Formats: sequence, C-alpha cells, structure tokens
Amino acid sequence: MSISLRLGLVIVSLVLLIVVLMQLRKRRIPVKYSLVWMLSSLIILLIAIVPGLFVTIANYLGFVTMSNLVIAMFIFILLMISLTLTVIVSSQRKKITLLMQEVSMIKSGEK
Amino acid sequence: MQKKNKIIIVIPAYNEEDNILNTYNTIVEYNKKNKTNYDVIVVNDGSKDRTEEILIENKINHIKLIQNLGIGGAVQTGYKYAYENGYDIAVQYDGDGQHDVDYVKTITDPIINDEADFVIGSRFIKKDKDNFNTTFSRRMGINLISFFIKLVTKKKVYDTTSGFRAVNKDIIEFFAHDYPTEYPEPISTTQLLQKKYRLKEVPVKMKARIGGKSSIGSWKNVYYMINVIISIITVDARGRK
Repeated sequence: MSISLRLGLVIVSLVLLIVVLMQLRKRRIPVKYSLVWMLSSLIILLIAIVPGLFVTIANYLGFVTMSNLVIAMFIFILLMISLTLTVIVSSQRKKITLLMQEVSMIKSGEK
Repeated sequence: MQKKNKIIIVIPAYNEEDNILNTYNTIVEYNKKNKTNYDVIVVNDGSKDRTEEILIENKINHIKLIQNLGIGGAVQTGYKYAYENGYDIAVQYDGDGQHDVDYVKTITDPIINDEADFVIGSRFIKKDKDNFNTTFSRRMGINLISFFIKLVTKKKVYDTTSGFRAVNKDIIEFFAHDYPTEYPEPISTTQLLQKKYRLKEVPVKMKARIGGKSSIGSWKNVYYMINVIISIITVDARGRK
C-alpha cells in the first residue's frame, strides 16, 4: 500500500474521530450511537498502521489491490450503519405513532 | 335474555368531506328504524379538507388525529377508543359510503352468537360476479394474497382486503396494542388466524364509491403485493420463533 494512501487513511480516521468526539462533547449524539463511528475510525486507522495484515486478507479474499479491499470495507461499514439507522428510525416511527394517537385522543376529549 | 353487547362502528376518514355526513346519517337512521344502538367513532386522519368542520358542525363523535397517520394508525386509534370505553364488538367501516349499514348486523351476529371471534364482510364468498365491480387485476391480487395466507395459516380467506369487518372484545384489546400500520387488512387477518382466533367470512354487498378516490392506486399494485406477501411471510416467521 502506497505511503500516500496510508497517510490519507490516517487523516480520514483522525478527522472522523475528532468530529465524533466534538459531537459527543456538545451532547448532540449519545455515546451509544457514537460507538459505531469510533469503531469505524479505529478500523481505518488500523488499515493505515498495519497494512501487512490487510494485504494478507486482501490476497486471501482475492482482491487485486489493497485499495479495493479498503473501499469494500468502507461500503460494508456504511451498509451496517444505514441498517442500524433504519432500525432506529422504524422504532421511532412506532413511538411517534403511539404518541400521536394518545395526544389526539386527549385533545379530542375522548380520554 | 342475552346480555346486550356494546357495539361501536369505527370509521376512519381521510379527506371524506363528500361522504362522511351521509355515511354517518345512514347509521343514525338505521339505529332509529331498527332500535339498534350502534355507537360511532370517526377517526379524522389529519384531513386537509372540510371533514373536521363537518364533524364538529354535526356533533359527530370523533377523534381528530393531529397528523396524518395512514389507514392503519387511524383504525388502531378507533380500536383504542373501543378498548378504553369497554366495547364488546368493534365494526370497521369505510367513511366513503362503500359499506352498507344493513350488513352490520350480518357481520356482528356470528360474534354475538359466539360462532366466531372476527368476521369479514366478503365480496367474493358467493360466486356473485356482478356483486361488486372490482377490476380484474385487483381481484388477481386479492387471490394471490389469499393463496399466501392459506399457505401460512392453512385457512382460506376469500376477501383479504375487505375493510368491512367486526371483531370481539379480545381482539379489540389485541388491536389496541398491536395493529399493522401498513396494509392492515391482510396482515391483521394473518396475525389473528395465527393466534387461532376463529374467523367467519360472510357475504355482503358493497356499493361502488360515491365520491373521492380509493387509497389503492393501480400503479402501486405491484409494490403493494410485494409488501403484503413479505409481511405475511414475516408474520409466519415471527410466530414460529
């Protein structure tokens, strides 16, 4: 893996980590939801620091270049994050429905 | 003497300014004529037209949802109302004048006589083709849903999308807590059958819509079918775990 790609990955990882920590500090996101992002940042950093490990994995999985594995991993991480978000949105939708029903019943004086 | 059952007619209404008063009045007249005591609760699902004004002007018992919830959320609100006010039977009834109040007795009698826990007013149970002008594709869709419900529950349901149905007290409580938001009719039917509630389908006549537009658009049919079929299979998988 080229030194510039490794450097790029370190920067991406650090920027991601700093942004997440800033959001945490301002209490814009709960720790629970920040974990998946910090984990992503850690994985990116790991790729940059110990590329040897990932080269082995890349070869084993049949990736022609290391950068392809990096991209594939990003896509996988993003997929997992969007799936998690879908789950969160769905559960919130359920709660909002319940809330609207109860508020509407109270406002209509039927309760 | 049989104990008197408290019956409520739940009418979800979304932009039904053309029909809602007429629908309500036919029920009131029916009550007077037949000495029945059907209560009515209209759930105004965040209508953007004059539905709310009409409901208030005519002092019609109703709940106004503060936001549009869609048919499932609106109907469930009606079941919650029925549950909290101790009704024995809830009848689901369209606000658009499709359903005929004369048949409310037909679909509630099997519950009163303890022959069934829930009753579907069915358009197709008799081979009465001119009964209701439904399109070929819609009927195909209904048959396909019927096939999947049979696959999952081993029970034949003819009119899987009928919105004209009556449920007993147990099911009112069940629905008050758990009612599918989307595509509620076939999904809730599957859920009930899986929970071993007794279903009876009785033939009813339905009128063509007087005004307004049906909520099921033809271009959405394929999307609708895929959703419903996956939902039915999901209900099955959930029940088996």
